[in-house]
Amino acid sequence: MSNIEVEHISKRFGTQLAVADVSFTVEAGEIFGLLGPNGAGKTTSIRIMLDIFKPDSGRVAILGGEMTEEKKNHIGYLPEERGLYQDIPLERCLLYLATLKGLAAPEARKRIGTYLEQFDLAQHRQKKIKELSKGMQQKAQLIATLVHRPDLIIIDEPFSGLDPVNTQMIKDLLVEERARGVTIVMSTHQMQQVEELCDRLVLINQGNVVLYGSLDEIRHRYEAQAVTVRCDGPLPEAIAGTHSRQRLNGVTRLELAAGASPQVVLRSLVAQNVVVEQFEIAVPTLDEIFIRVVQGGGAAG
Amino acid sequence: MNKFWLICKYEYLRHVRRRRFLFALMSLPLMILLMIGAGFLAVWAEYDNRPIGYVDETGTLAQARQVTPEPGEWFPDPPMRAFADETTARAALDNKETQGYYVLQAQYLNDGSARFVTIGQAKSATESAFKRFLRYNLVNGQPAAVAQRLVQGPVLEIRSLGGTRTMGENVLFSLLFPMVIGILFLLVINTSGSYLVGALVEEKENRTIEIMVTSVSADQMMAGKVVGNLAVGLTELLVWIAFGLVTLAFLRANPAQMGTFNLDSGYLFLAFFTLLPAFVMVAGLMAAAGATASDTREAQQIAGMFTLPVVVPFYLIVPLMESPNSPLSVGLSIFPLTAPISLTMRAAFTDVPAWQIGISLGLLVVCAVGAIWVAGRVFRLGMLRYGKRITLREIFGKA
Repeated sequence: MSNIEVEHISKRFGTQLAVADVSFTVEAGEIFGLLGPNGAGKTTSIRIMLDIFKPDSGRVAILGGEMTEEKKNHIGYLPEERGLYQDIPLERCLLYLATLKGLAAPEARKRIGTYLEQFDLAQHRQKKIKELSKGMQQKAQLIATLVHRPDLIIIDEPFSGLDPVNTQMIKDLLVEERARGVTIVMSTHQMQQVEELCDRLVLINQGNVVLYGSLDEIRHRYEAQAVTVRCDGPLPEAIAGTHSRQRLNGVTRLELAAGASPQVVLRSLVAQNVVVEQFEIAVPTLDEIFIRVVQGGGAAG
Repeated sequence: MNKFWLICKYEYLRHVRRRRFLFALMSLPLMILLMIGAGFLAVWAEYDNRPIGYVDETGTLAQARQVTPEPGEWFPDPPMRAFADETTARAALDNKETQGYYVLQAQYLNDGSARFVTIGQAKSATESAFKRFLRYNLVNGQPAAVAQRLVQGPVLEIRSLGGTRTMGENVLFSLLFPMVIGILFLLVINTSGSYLVGALVEEKENRTIEIMVTSVSADQMMAGKVVGNLAVGLTELLVWIAFGLVTLAFLRANPAQMGTFNLDSGYLFLAFFTLLPAFVMVAGLMAAAGATASDTREAQQIAGMFTLPVVVPFYLIVPLMESPNSPLSVGLSIFPLTAPISLTMRAAFTDVPAWQIGISLGLLVVCAVGAIWVAGRVFRLGMLRYGKRITLREIFGKA
């Protein structure tokens, strides 16, 4: 079942086309990556999904239809433009935002207490937000996003400003939420986090979808015709099924000849009594795919 | 609706809990207290309870009685002391037994000629006290009602041109009342407007806008902010009014006298139902302006512009009073921005036709709702576009 359906949305601000033609669906219970370079139209797409902006054309269905006031209580949103009321104590601020999401005050207070303990913020509950560090404010904002136990979470750069310990904590938390059946849309530039967490993704560039599908599918689609080999001693001059080689920091990348398979190469190495320590099909990282698609242009998947 | 109240309560409490609000709240009463204190000190410094002497050459004060002081009066009139002739009066003055003496000359009852002799400067309080003594004794022997009426002096009564409404036994109060209402309206709208635009710009500066619009509708949020911040201004007003009444009671100014001003309840209802939507309308317009501004100062400057048309009727008070049914007066009382003060002023001086009241109030309500809608719309469109202006076409077009 889809929790979000985006169909051919477009949005223009004055003369600037922010989103040209974007379509994708987000399935229930998955972590979905919304990727793209700066200014690609990600934030505008998110704002259209959340009914902050109306699209010039196209349609969006969220949690089974149009956005309603009731549905807002089931959505947690961590915007790119972070912000909390600076002049009031942390706990009061979180309580206010939680009650605006339809949570009764006593229950909100209880949950906020638990989260503050979990996020190591309990001793700062009476401090004004402006007195907290950037990382603490980021954690507070995450609490505001999660406290009402939403069915759908949309988070924009959730790891910015966090140290490795807190980054890991947030990752664990997102995985826990997914296990609970929550749908998560994550917009980030950190491809490593996308590779670790996302089930599927869409890559937007210049307002258009340039890549869309599951992580495995995309990787497979961009799989290089090459293998990397590490061995004890030099490689033989002639290796069947290859046409060139490149030495990279202790490993050698062998480019496959047209029609050749990695098995042919491995068989040739074994036949020549090479002691193979490592043999890998060269799979591109998401970073590489991102750069290749954005710089070289790429077809929508 | 529940979220509207949450926003309303939050907006109200965040101001009321601040020390800044308490200072603002107490500043006016403290200033008044200081002024009263200074006035009290001035009276106290000038107060002289030595007797005031008089030489009565007319014989009218032969059976004179002292004016009975009001119970608990802080500065009662000094006693009056009769002297047979000016020589003994002068001797008493030189001995500092009296603060001075009046000589009511023989022709006093015909031409009012009298003389006052003192050492140094004559004090106004002395003259007032002696005049009271004179009035009190000159009407002596008249029937009680006549005596009271004579002492009271002239009483004017204002009747509306249609003759169906009578305003005030105290003419000054009747004239001032619509103006006081107008000034209070401006005071509340300025205070609340300042809080409101501050809250909106803060929303922008803190970047909390997106959290808000994904939690509540822009209309609910704007209505909550407008009402919450208006309530802050009204709280100030109520506290000040309460303080004023307590002060009056304390100073023994007879508060019961306030009740004798003959203001009919219809007028008060009209004032209430005119000013309430007007508050919301002006606050909504200020909010819309505040939502487009980039910082608090700019927001307050833009918001201040909306109070300009509101004060226009003050400048046109003479034509409004002289010709309350002229096209100008009718136009001013129907145009929503000038209606709050014009309509209340006109209603004090004439019978405003029901259809005009209906149009005026109807327009105010429509404009109040419209202002909230526009403010919500501008807020939603404008707040996410930092540093960019939005056009009217965008406001009324597709968001």
